[in-house]
Amino acid sequence: MRTILHADLDAFYASVEQLDDPSLRGRPVIVGGHRDERGVVSASSYEARVFGVVSAMPLRTAARRCPDGVFLPGRPERYRQLSRQVMAIFASYTPLVEPISLDEAFLDVSDSRAAFGDGPTIAREIKRRVLDEVGLVVSVGVATNKLCAKIASDLRKPDALVIVPPGEEASFLAPLPIRRLWGVGPQAQRALGEYGVTTIGQLAALESSTLRRRFGIHGDELSARARGADPSPVVSSHAPKSIGHEHTFDVDSADPGRLEATLLDLAESVATRLRRHDLAARAVQLKLRYEGFETLTRQAPLPHPTRDSRPLYDTAIGLLRKTQVAGRGVRLIGLTAIGLTEAQQLTLFDAPDREDRLSRSIDTVRERFGEDAITRARLLAQRPHRRFDFGERPDAAPGNDEDGA
Amino acid sequence: MNISVMQENLARGLATVSRAVSSRATLPVLANVLLKTENSGLNLTATNLEIGINCWVPGKVAEEGEITVPAKLLTDLVASLPNQKIDLVLSPKDRTLKLTCGNNRSSIKGIEADEFPVVAAIGETPATSVDARVLREALGEVVFAAASDESRPILTGVLTRLTGDKMTLAAADNYRIAVRTLTLASPVDPEIVIVVPGRSYAELMRILPDAEMPIEITVTPNKSQVLFHVEGIDLVSRLIEGQFPNYEPVIPASHSSRAVIDREAFLAGTRRASIFARDSANIVKIEIGGDDADGAGVAITAHAADVGDNADTVDAAIEGSPTAIAFNARYLIDVLSNLGSEEAALELSGPLAPGVIRGIGKDDYVHVIMPVRTAS
Repeated sequence: MRTILHADLDAFYASVEQLDDPSLRGRPVIVGGHRDERGVVSASSYEARVFGVVSAMPLRTAARRCPDGVFLPGRPERYRQLSRQVMAIFASYTPLVEPISLDEAFLDVSDSRAAFGDGPTIAREIKRRVLDEVGLVVSVGVATNKLCAKIASDLRKPDALVIVPPGEEASFLAPLPIRRLWGVGPQAQRALGEYGVTTIGQLAALESSTLRRRFGIHGDELSARARGADPSPVVSSHAPKSIGHEHTFDVDSADPGRLEATLLDLAESVATRLRRHDLAARAVQLKLRYEGFETLTRQAPLPHPTRDSRPLYDTAIGLLRKTQVAGRGVRLIGLTAIGLTEAQQLTLFDAPDREDRLSRSIDTVRERFGEDAITRARLLAQRPHRRFDFGERPDAAPGNDEDGA
Repeated sequence: MNISVMQENLARGLATVSRAVSSRATLPVLANVLLKTENSGLNLTATNLEIGINCWVPGKVAEEGEITVPAKLLTDLVASLPNQKIDLVLSPKDRTLKLTCGNNRSSIKGIEADEFPVVAAIGETPATSVDARVLREALGEVVFAAASDESRPILTGVLTRLTGDKMTLAAADNYRIAVRTLTLASPVDPEIVIVVPGRSYAELMRILPDAEMPIEITVTPNKSQVLFHVEGIDLVSRLIEGQFPNYEPVIPASHSSRAVIDREAFLAGTRRASIFARDSANIVKIEIGGDDADGAGVAITAHAADVGDNADTVDAAIEGSPTAIAFNARYLIDVLSNLGSEEAALELSGPLAPGVIRGIGKDDYVHVIMPVRTAS
């Protein structure tokens, strides 16, 4: 029998802001951008959630719902720093820590029980230490697998500790709505609704042959999950499946020069992160969002696995030119590297590694002096809205990070 | 124009030239084939402005003349006719070509011959000649390595150097390079260095007879076109301008391990591994004399995280220290399936150094593949 913990920091970005600035405590804090900007909410404090402000909501909607909210652009570097501290506390109980994002992780503590006590004991320890040593509140679910641990941690947030004792997985899940299960999206919910299934318990009672007929091989998985079974292991070195960045324009843009320069900017950010993870992309995905939130994604393979911005950009531009209708205003543009691999094809004539070494030097300069310290000349002309002072700079919304998703 | 030809001869001639017809012609006349009576026969010509092919077909000329007609229409018609005599008669005033063959009578509307671009008017004496069968084999070992994408146009061509009595062919796509030398029938002085489009050489391979006969090579003085002539057929190609990368320094002069392997077995093992490699960037790992190869022979393995593993061990005569390298399987399959020798030698100098493949008993060929850097 395994013992799995799912630990999830409560309202992470917003809580960090309240931690660093005591005047914000008890007030509705909304991270993602200014109230009149066109981005979306990355995180909201529990005080803001009372007004119905949730993640991924447009900032302007949030501003309408919560006029007294404190809107902040976010400080990704600070969030990463605190995330590292929290993850280090997790790692002191088990080497099997699987970070899902900056603010949540799975822990397999099966072999740690002899040294640190049973699952609930370790969970209480972790909650206490994260609060004492970092100053943040974490919710923890304890179960025999990842599925139940994750649902448990989420059940009574904030500051929750929910324990699913061994053997009680199915009865724990039974009263919950089916949307809580992995792999049950709006479509599956509708399909299951046709059978009168709204709770996980009803789903578990359904004949597995019925599910297989309706959902194919996924039917069996669904059936197993509904009964609280999930064999998936906690994987400690979790390589990201995709690395992407996106940009929301202040005003919809149909200007090809502007769109292409933005893609170049995004390609550079994505390539930097590929190099940081020592990965190469095999394909590129372009995302375009238009007025009315209509969203298109298109993808194309790269000639070879790469971590260099140039081929990412070239391929994305090809997709843009095929997809984008002249004159149509774009609200959001995104570039994601997919099909990530640790392999990289070496070349004959472009002096081996020359490009890679140049890129890595640029990465180092940016890490020390900021993103704008060194950039392509083309991007200077195309970004009049960017400020080039050396004080605060508007950073990309942290919610755009698809790392590890 | 009034000429009689045998269906068989005309069909073969049209099949030869039709590959040079533009599929998406910007000029309507480029979708046509030029027919012109010449030397007691019929000269057929097609061009897409990159290459032009000329083929002479014997016939009986009653009246000289020339016309262009849609190539696909004529080729399809002639291919469907019985193997009998075909009479071709041009009615100049309505530019219509009338064909009579057995009980079939057709007429095809054409375009004036003087609208057709001039092809193969090089008129120089040939620089040299080379045996057709040898050239065909050599092109087979080299042309596949030329780049197919146009991001560096020079690499879509094959470097062709004629110097003394040697011809050197080299093709590369930035990840691999193939170099083959062959002997010319007569020495060339001063040397001639041109870059011929890979596509033109692919067509030349197709039309070269598999026989020992000389093929003449002529280059225009301004180095803009090259002409290959063999028994009744001319192929003219434009040349690619620019400097081919200096490949000699990238061909390793030494190696730290070497394996001599049966080419078919090496190819079969690589093909099996590539089935598994489809889901992992097509990467196969080659190990000379390592643990997977039980200290002898060569192991070919593929690993795909969500799929599974595959391993082949091939007997080999090995020298030097055990070493492992990863390649894109496609590059190995390309060279091993085109190499004209029973055994292949694989020479390595470590996991990140270029790998070399040679044919045993063939000092005239070398192939270099750049490895894939992997995490493990």
